[in-house]
Amino acid sequence: MRTAETGARRRNKMERLERVGRLARGKFVAAKDVPAVLKRIIEPGDILCLEGDNQKQADFLANALASLDKKDLRDIHLVMSCITLPAHIELFKKGMIRQVDFCYAGPQGTAVADLVKARKFPVGAIHTYNELFGRFYVDLTPRVALVAATQADRKGNLYLEANTEDTPAVIEPTAFSDGIVFAQVNKIVDRLPRIDIPADQVDFVVEAPYPMHLQALFTRDPAAITEVQVLMAMVALRGIYEKYEVQSLNHGVGFNTAAIELLLPTYGERLGLKGKICKHWVVNPLPTMIPAIESGWVESVFAFGGEVGMERYTAARSDVFFTGRDGGFHSNRPMGQLAGLYGIDMFIGASLQIDINGNSSTVSTSRITGFGGAPNMGCQPTGRRHPTKAWLKAGAEANPGPGSSPGRKLVVQMVETFQAGRVPTFVEELDAAEPSIRKALHGVTPVMIYGDDVTHIVTEEGIANLAACRSVAERQAAIRAVAGYTPVGLKRNKRQTAELRARGIVQLPEDVGVRPSEASRSLLATQDIKGLVRWSKGLYDPPAQFVDW
Amino acid sequence: MTRGPLFHEQTARQRIAAVVDRGSFDELLPPPERLTSPYLAQLGIPVSFDDGVVIGRARIGGKKVYLAAQVGQFVGGAVGEIHGAKLTGLFKAAARDRVPCVLIVESGGVRLHEGSAGEIAIAETMRAIFECRALKVPTIAVIGTDIGAYGGIGILSTCCDFRVMTEHGRLGISGPIVIEKWMGKKAYDSSNRALVWKTSGGKTKYLLGDAEALVHDDAGAVREAIGKLLAKSSPVTLKNVKARQKDLEKRLKRFGKTGDPDDVWKGMGVRDVARASLASGPEFAAMAKAGRR
Amino acid sequence: MEKFTKAFPSKPLKTTAGKPWALAGVVGSGNLEVLVERGGRPSDAMECHIETSIPGYKASWLAALADFAHHYPAGGTKVTINDQGAPPVLVTLRLRQAYDHLVKGSK
Repeated sequence: MRTAETGARRRNKMERLERVGRLARGKFVAAKDVPAVLKRIIEPGDILCLEGDNQKQADFLANALASLDKKDLRDIHLVMSCITLPAHIELFKKGMIRQVDFCYAGPQGTAVADLVKARKFPVGAIHTYNELFGRFYVDLTPRVALVAATQADRKGNLYLEANTEDTPAVIEPTAFSDGIVFAQVNKIVDRLPRIDIPADQVDFVVEAPYPMHLQALFTRDPAAITEVQVLMAMVALRGIYEKYEVQSLNHGVGFNTAAIELLLPTYGERLGLKGKICKHWVVNPLPTMIPAIESGWVESVFAFGGEVGMERYTAARSDVFFTGRDGGFHSNRPMGQLAGLYGIDMFIGASLQIDINGNSSTVSTSRITGFGGAPNMGCQPTGRRHPTKAWLKAGAEANPGPGSSPGRKLVVQMVETFQAGRVPTFVEELDAAEPSIRKALHGVTPVMIYGDDVTHIVTEEGIANLAACRSVAERQAAIRAVAGYTPVGLKRNKRQTAELRARGIVQLPEDVGVRPSEASRSLLATQDIKGLVRWSKGLYDPPAQFVDW
Repeated sequence: MTRGPLFHEQTARQRIAAVVDRGSFDELLPPPERLTSPYLAQLGIPVSFDDGVVIGRARIGGKKVYLAAQVGQFVGGAVGEIHGAKLTGLFKAAARDRVPCVLIVESGGVRLHEGSAGEIAIAETMRAIFECRALKVPTIAVIGTDIGAYGGIGILSTCCDFRVMTEHGRLGISGPIVIEKWMGKKAYDSSNRALVWKTSGGKTKYLLGDAEALVHDDAGAVREAIGKLLAKSSPVTLKNVKARQKDLEKRLKRFGKTGDPDDVWKGMGVRDVARASLASGPEFAAMAKAGRR
Repeated sequence: MEKFTKAFPSKPLKTTAGKPWALAGVVGSGNLEVLVERGGRPSDAMECHIETSIPGYKASWLAALADFAHHYPAGGTKVTINDQGAPPVLVTLRLRQAYDHLVKGSK
């Protein structure tokens, strides 16, 4: 039997700090000494958190880690939101990692798939963001956390600017369990614009020789929106937003939902929907929302993270965005995910593949991406108790039994029936169900959103209301009915489709008042990035790769 | 802020329909004739019924015009044998019939798959353009998309009496990637889109006098600009050529050494470069005019 | 490139007015052009000629064209398509646009 030894963990932290000794002056470490400090503060067997999500990255610290030898860094249990950088992959290639628990691997999805094939990717589980943040307080509490901030002051207080993102979620469980928090900052200053993390929770600070990597993830150039996407956006607006009077929502990052945002001040206005829908948003500061915000559609936006170039705009629109006393934008990923889980009427997003039961995934044998936050929002939280109009209406359609919730969150998948290069979106079985992937994930198929959670699928062919289906067979027929000319769609039964259409479970564009010939890019509030800048009255500063003026 | 379709997003046929008097367009060699490129077909590349250029007769403000519009989406609007022959024939007819000729440009130049035929056709079309100019039959190039006017079509566009541009239009000979390849990334970074537009875009071309009109990205505005130019011509005389030469020498002397296109804008009277960058075509023209005073 | 030709049963075109031909779309990446002409034979079928740059999707082409012929009276028309990899939804959209121009004579 194990006996409780008081303070062993704290003593171990002190030992580690002592090992650093003169390599740090107080909390401050010189950039050149970072690898030596990392060697001294990390022990074999540690749970190590490396901050990095789909936007900001502690990339200087990641590169320093990857520069170490296996003899200095081994048997590590890595916990992190996103595997994003080549340096992250390097840790696996060097065999330093005993286990990894993460959420998403977007840009390194192909490299992760290769590591899985080479059996060099000992994955515990792929999580959603809130799951991983939750486990930071349960069984995955970091011993050491390497994080990124914009600025630190001389005491070690941190300023996170627009990109708060995961930082508090990583630091708090570490700092309050005798772990070590090491922050890279772009700059050390005398006075911070505001304090986001108190110095008490920070052990070491380094001024990195280069600013942290920030990905412009949510910038969608309106020029790339197709007329088919405009058509789908019109169908979604009429068949879902208008029908359910969706007040609060989250949008995915794709072009489909960007088209909806750009239709609000034009098509949406014409339908008389302003003030009736889309008032409260849980979403990053999407540049394509600028026209809707400028037209007075939007009352509030809370964000998971920032977006490059939106700093001046969000600061100037502090009635809509959450801002600090310094006037600057504020974000928070776990709180955003919580808001998206419980607080909204609708989640709407795209997917790469949807199977015949409505399960979706972005994983294939050649690319293992994972989840991120979509499943936190794209699910039915049965712990929800507060009613809204949309929630009750969707709930009534789902015909709840005596032992279930009266409401439903609208969980909408919006996809074209074919992806680029004529790859069908609808399949009989997901690529993610491939045995080698399931084996690597301990028997779990990496499903992004389960069919049972989806209420609607929108394609260019129309809307399938899955929540209103009364059997598995009926749901499959509804999916085939909107799967167009994919092999899944070609198997539809004309009579059954007609019957589902008569019951309103399948709706064609004309059934919701949309004529396909009306769909035109000229309906968008603007057709290019320059137009967004003009709408913003010059407050939006798009990343250089989008600027052609 | 709802508005009609933008000129740069329209197809060639939509542009023609929106620029000419309603219903006045009479297409020559229309799609049912199926004059498609035999070379592309042999190479297994999709063909198009108009081979990338729509030509015909129409009226603008009641005035007879001959009109061609290139299809930029189809192999970059590049000129092959049939495409080229249609252009040559149209401009020859313009000279013969003394009817003004408008070319709505969208082409990177010669189609590599049928290069010789394209080169010859462009040269013959230039000859026809100069025939028109000698006869004081106006020729107008409209350049309003990012495919723009490059290669032989860039040269051909500058042979016309006048050029109407929008802020989306680009005009040059070698494309940005080619310039970078020969001069190095340091001299010209083709991935720097702001640099590319500041050197070859409609605003700069208008500022330097290479385009006579800078209009809204809208077919109505293009139509109005064409209408104004239809009554004018810019004859090729020794005096005019000498004056143009002098102009170019002056330009080289003033701006030949600078590596920053903003210097050219400032030198040409644009005071607030950031604001001018975001201004619409007509606003920009007004700002430049005010600055020159 | 893949080429195929097929006639689909369709009710005869309602009007004889309007234009003799209409064209919609352009040949470009992920796009197509559709030429619809009057005077095809017989008058109770839509005669289709397809040339596509992406082979292997004949089944979805035929299904999309059959659905169109079923939904719209297009008998007695000849449809010729040059395709550069357009998704089926664009095939239907362009067909519809060309068809509307043909019967209404609008541009």
